[in-house]
Amino acid sequence: MKTIKVAVAGNPNSGKSTLINAIAGTHLYVGNWPGVTVEKKTATFKIDDLEVNLVDLPGTYSLSPYTQEEVIARDFLVKERPDVIVDVVDSTNLERNLYFTVQLLELGIPVVVALNIYDEAKKKGYEINTNAMEQLLGIKVVPTVATKKEGVNELLQALKEIAAAPDKFKPAKLNYGEEVENSLKIIEEAIQSRKELTDTYPIRWLSLKLLEGDERIFKEIGFRADEEFLQRAKSHFLEFHEQDIESMLTEIRYGIAHGVTEKVLKKKNGRRVDITERIDKVVLNRYIGIPIFLAVMWFVFKFAFDFSSPFCDWIDGLISGPITHWAKLGLNALNSPEWLVSLVTEGVIAGVGAVLVFVPLIGIVMFLMTLLEGSGYMARAAFVMDKLMHSIGLHGKSFIPLILGFGCNVPSIYATRVLETQRDRKLTAMICPPFSCSARLPVYVLFIGAFFTANGATVLWSLYILGVVIAIVTGFLLKNTILKGPIPPFIMELPPYRIPTLRDLKIHTWQKLRHFLIKAGTFIFASSIVFWFLLNTPYGVEKEKSYLGKIGKAVSPVFEPLGFGNWQATSALITGVIAKEVVVSTMAQIYAPESEEKKEEPTFSEEIRDIFIGFISAVEDAFYNVFSSFGIKSWETEEQPGKLQEKLQTVFSPLSAYAFLVFVLLYLPCLTFAFTLRAEFGWKTLGQTLVIYLILPWITAFIVYQGGKLLGF
Amino acid sequence: MKLSEVKVGQKVKVLSIKTKGIIKRRLMDMGVLDGEPIIIEKVAPLGDPIDIVVKNYHLSLRKHEAEKIEVEVIQ
Repeated sequence: MKTIKVAVAGNPNSGKSTLINAIAGTHLYVGNWPGVTVEKKTATFKIDDLEVNLVDLPGTYSLSPYTQEEVIARDFLVKERPDVIVDVVDSTNLERNLYFTVQLLELGIPVVVALNIYDEAKKKGYEINTNAMEQLLGIKVVPTVATKKEGVNELLQALKEIAAAPDKFKPAKLNYGEEVENSLKIIEEAIQSRKELTDTYPIRWLSLKLLEGDERIFKEIGFRADEEFLQRAKSHFLEFHEQDIESMLTEIRYGIAHGVTEKVLKKKNGRRVDITERIDKVVLNRYIGIPIFLAVMWFVFKFAFDFSSPFCDWIDGLISGPITHWAKLGLNALNSPEWLVSLVTEGVIAGVGAVLVFVPLIGIVMFLMTLLEGSGYMARAAFVMDKLMHSIGLHGKSFIPLILGFGCNVPSIYATRVLETQRDRKLTAMICPPFSCSARLPVYVLFIGAFFTANGATVLWSLYILGVVIAIVTGFLLKNTILKGPIPPFIMELPPYRIPTLRDLKIHTWQKLRHFLIKAGTFIFASSIVFWFLLNTPYGVEKEKSYLGKIGKAVSPVFEPLGFGNWQATSALITGVIAKEVVVSTMAQIYAPESEEKKEEPTFSEEIRDIFIGFISAVEDAFYNVFSSFGIKSWETEEQPGKLQEKLQTVFSPLSAYAFLVFVLLYLPCLTFAFTLRAEFGWKTLGQTLVIYLILPWITAFIVYQGGKLLGF
Repeated sequence: MKLSEVKVGQKVKVLSIKTKGIIKRRLMDMGVLDGEPIIIEKVAPLGDPIDIVVKNYHLSLRKHEAEKIEVEVIQ
């Protein structure tokens, strides 16, 4: 059995991931490139008797040393030396895509060009002479329409052909002009004898990089820019050209791409105004561009949260109702001790529930993000919002993850994937927590009902605005400390509008969900069990004497200067790490324990019936929520028990209550957020975020409480 | 004149890019080369970035970057 290594490269927006989904949809494994959050998709499959190991490289316009994605792509191509490169080319944008192809040919690896989006090119009246293209570049060319799976088989056959006779498919050595070729000769002669170099790097590619003055390569091989042979190779350039050699080579490569395009592309009719430009006349219009963007955002928000919340509630009800009930019945039938029943139902099953409850939400958010990204609207959103976001030091695309944070910070982390650079992703994810999510609302409502009935709306708004201000300040601090670095330029393609395929939407959504379940879910589950032990051991004692109560007591002095240094409030904050709404239920348990009411247990058949009816009404509610109300449905909270509020009035003053709310607003959102952040960015980023969102809320609440006291509140 | 000073709807030719390193390379990779014709298509609603047509596709860049591109009007 023969095995070949295939790398898939190409420009962003060339339909590369659609093509990969069409080739290897079910075999795809999604991970990250080591140490970064750039997606790495790999797949292993067979073409007849040939085994193919496929690696998807990040979409790039070039192979320069300047961006992380380009460095990943070129390092893989140079060091892993795939047997074949599949170069996905957007047929409607031939010249710029061929410029990238020209750079791939420098590596000397056989190339198959997938002339993708071929149907659109034909519609535009383009005719591309594939034979001439094969002749000129010494490669295979296969027209494809990835959205309809057209050309995929031909592409696979081309891979087989190359695997059978790789020497037949050596790409053409393009002539870069006499001057450059002479210089390359000098460099090649000088490095030919250095075996450690020629074993690692394709010699022509390396010579070109040395001529360009590619800093990364100089560093890698320990050369200096003033080596004698380099001086010789560059001498006549420096005499006759003012321009730097890097720019000159870029122009030569573009010149070749332009020449090839002229030879192979025939345009039948004149330039028609295409549909994209007609849509953009409206969407990017000076006056209605922003209102349209805001309307789109509002819809995304409604769909993400109002549409998913009935399903989340249904899963929640299913887990805490019938499933818990059945587990209890089963354990009781086995005569299990009480603590075991409690551990299984309140620890294990509740832990699974805590993970599953996020599935509808993350699924729908990822679906929407793929839709925005794949349709081409995301780039427009960045175009419209960039000035505003840039003024606070962020990228135009950061707007969407941050706004989603008002609903829930967890999907925001996944939504940062739309950003181009690792730094922008991290920065955006790390300033999400102060965006007040809907889980903090019950805590606000409880305290506002107890202390601020006269001016509740003002207090509520003040918290939201404080959150945004703190987020912006944190962003500036991060940018000048741990996330230092040059601001990447905003030079972005506005791709044509396209309709994403259902297959892509399905695959991308499922990939993210899987990532969440495996990478974050396991930690969330484990920590739920840890929390059960904290709350319930030693088993059967009062809350105050449990480990949690003891920890609360030990930690409470820290909160003394903030006005709520008692073990009850501290314990509520600690359990609030599970999820912010738990602050309310913990307080209710500690301050105003309800006597358990004996309820009629439903019969098994009734429960089964209720599960189905519940699901059907969840579907109804989801659609009703999206299309009927103008507000945000998922932000409505139930009335709080008056007994607890009365109790709170004896423990807090209005000032310390407000300081408490400020602390709740700003400290770590929840465990799910923490572990999703870890899954996406690793332990170090999680550690930094933890530190920030424990110190920051303390300082802010301290200023509020002590400042308020000085002002006589 | 600078690309950032050109009116919407005008067609210009690039004379030179007055910067070095990452920004210059990125602009050139995207097809903004000496002698290249460019059409200024749109300005974002808030006045920045701008949308240009180069090599038959749409590219957006901030005025901060456009300032570094020296052009002459051809239409």
